[in-house]
Amino acid sequence: MKYFAGIDIGSTAIKITIIDENKEMVGHRISGSGSMFYKYAQQTLGDLLKDLNISDEDVCYRVATGYGRKLFKEADENISEITANAIGAVAAAKEFGAIKTIINIGGQDSKAISLDDQGNVVNFAMNDRCAAGTGKFLDACAMNLEIGVEELGERHFNATGTPLSINSTCAVFAESEIIGLLGNSHSVEDIVSGVHYSIAKRIVKLVKRVGVKEGIYFDGGPALNGGLVNAIENEIGQKIFIPKHPQVTTSFGAAILGVDSYNYQNSGL
Amino acid sequence: MTSIQEHKQKHKIETPNEKQNRHKAMEAIKVLNTLKEGFKEPPKAMSYFYDLFEEVYCHQKALHTDKVKVGTMCIQIPSEIIYALDGVPIRLCNGFYTDDEIGSDLLPQKACPLVKASVGHLSSKNLTDKPDMIYSPTTCDQKTKAGTLISSFGYDVVDVDFPRTKESEISREFFRRSIRDFSVDLSHKMGRKLTKKNLRASISKIGYAQSLYHRLSEFRKSKIVPILGNDMFIVTNAFFFDKLDNWIEATEKLVQELEQRVKENLHVAGKVSPRIVYTGSPPIFPNYKIPLIIEDSDAIIVADETCSSNRMFNDRVAVDEWFVNDMIDSLADKYLKACTCPVFSKNDDRIRRIIELVRSHNADGVIYQAFAGCTVYELEQRSVLEAMEKEGISILYIESDYSPSQHGQLSTRVEAFVESLKIKNRNRK
Ligand code: SF4
Ligand code: SF4
Repeated sequence: MKYFAGIDIGSTAIKITIIDENKEMVGHRISGSGSMFYKYAQQTLGDLLKDLNISDEDVCYRVATGYGRKLFKEADENISEITANAIGAVAAAKEFGAIKTIINIGGQDSKAISLDDQGNVVNFAMNDRCAAGTGKFLDACAMNLEIGVEELGERHFNATGTPLSINSTCAVFAESEIIGLLGNSHSVEDIVSGVHYSIAKRIVKLVKRVGVKEGIYFDGGPALNGGLVNAIENEIGQKIFIPKHPQVTTSFGAAILGVDSYNYQNSGL
Repeated sequence: MTSIQEHKQKHKIETPNEKQNRHKAMEAIKVLNTLKEGFKEPPKAMSYFYDLFEEVYCHQKALHTDKVKVGTMCIQIPSEIIYALDGVPIRLCNGFYTDDEIGSDLLPQKACPLVKASVGHLSSKNLTDKPDMIYSPTTCDQKTKAGTLISSFGYDVVDVDFPRTKESEISREFFRRSIRDFSVDLSHKMGRKLTKKNLRASISKIGYAQSLYHRLSEFRKSKIVPILGNDMFIVTNAFFFDKLDNWIEATEKLVQELEQRVKENLHVAGKVSPRIVYTGSPPIFPNYKIPLIIEDSDAIIVADETCSSNRMFNDRVAVDEWFVNDMIDSLADKYLKACTCPVFSKNDDRIRRIIELVRSHNADGVIYQAFAGCTVYELEQRSVLEAMEKEGISILYIESDYSPSQHGQLSTRVEAFVESLKIKNRNRK
């Protein structure tokens, strides 16, 4: 069996996906990227292969993507995270039908990517200027509320009052807003749903820049937060698809590109 | 891979109306929480009003299920006549950004946010106290045009002719006739007649409500100001839609409490907070953007000259003869003569009123807001600024809209103005 690796070196995490020659996912791993991208990426890949019982030689092609992709010298090829995200999303959502728009919320940025009928990227919009609408913002809010990020989803659905919106787009000011609300004994649940709606509104604005179409796919770590998903669905007025492993869509896409590149290079043309 | 199908079955996506309601609730609660928690303790009697707004805008409570609701597009429709015929006036001037955004799809981007919001709200048909009919005075261009647009949504809209000059005998006669026609039309629709008794009763009841407002205003003249300008806007805005008797009762309580507060020297602002007269495009709940910035910048609004507050209560009806026709004419006169809306060609009354408010309330300065897109307030800015300068009254002119953005910039401008007033006061001493 031949294997292919997609290595996504992001600002806050390294995500690696291994697939086989049929483009089926074999395994994936996520680890913090820390200060030494390269070393951690190497290590994570090694650990993952060991777990999967795959020898290094069986990996025929490695494709790197993400901010730190250029640092991963062992890669056979590298590719932008926009393209990789698109390829991965189309493959991951195959059974659900056509994907026209991708929402990606990463650690430090968020993106909206619009695709044509063939799944090619036609346009994208990105917010990387401030924390608002990123994973960082959610982390900071959870921290101020003294709850875990993984609790946010459930808290959202337990809210009974009107969601209390956070106006500041800056994580620092948002913090003082949240502390103010807590000080006046508003419920954590109402604040959580307010935070989700504030992010959702910003995300929807981003999506509007590339055009809202049917067939929306949402990935990145925050896609695991059902409350945020609910808020975005309400703001955008339609259902959105969440893959099983939303954090690794981009590395999955990179690995798929690896299969195609490998086959092309070895097709004897 | 699975989608989150199960999650979706549990949590349906909101309908457009539910979304609109949630957005409005979020806007409303934000302002109410700020008023309740962001300032020195508000009077206890304010809870009635806070709760009212929360019930209506966060929980979509209908107040007038058993009554005929008469929508009005502007202050110019005499509510006395509506009450006399046993209807409930509902002022449809709207302050929600959510509705402004809906209206933006139907009107030019640059249109007045108040008009866009009113149109957006009516176009959504998502109203708790839906008006059974709407009277639309042909005041400013945008309101005039809005009336026609609103009737295309299926509402029964009647134009009420409104003159653009105030002083002339023609316009006086013109508006008297207009209000007579309005009375006839409404009488028909309500299947009731205006009588000496019912009209006189409603005139005196509204007169009483006005007198309560005047008592509240009196408190704001003294050094100890027992109530925030923002809270006053809440009280007067409630008059747009509340049950009249409830409003009167709650306001009576507020008057009593403020009396007590003055005795206890309870001043809601700081020691050196400058006193501001607020004028311009009307603040309508929850668009208290500028008033909140002002009182958040260590100033206090002691009076206002706007159609969402002072202008509704300022002038009383002067009746010579208590016959139905005379009363109708007097009402028409009151609404026209006392109106200081900039839609009129000449509007010296407005300038006079602002100066008078500054003097009587010992104000340190005036803040004039115009909605971006409101041509008449924008146009009148010059003459008001000049007149204030002549009187030696400091004035700040700001343009704003309903969007939550630009907050930082606006605060900086207001703060700088407030500080300049403080420095002036200090130097004077
Ligand atoms: S600004 Fe003038 S025209 Fe507009 S609602 Fe107020 S009084 Fe009526
Ligand atoms: S604010 Fe200006 S444009 Fe808007 S309704 Fe009043 S007068 Fe008309």
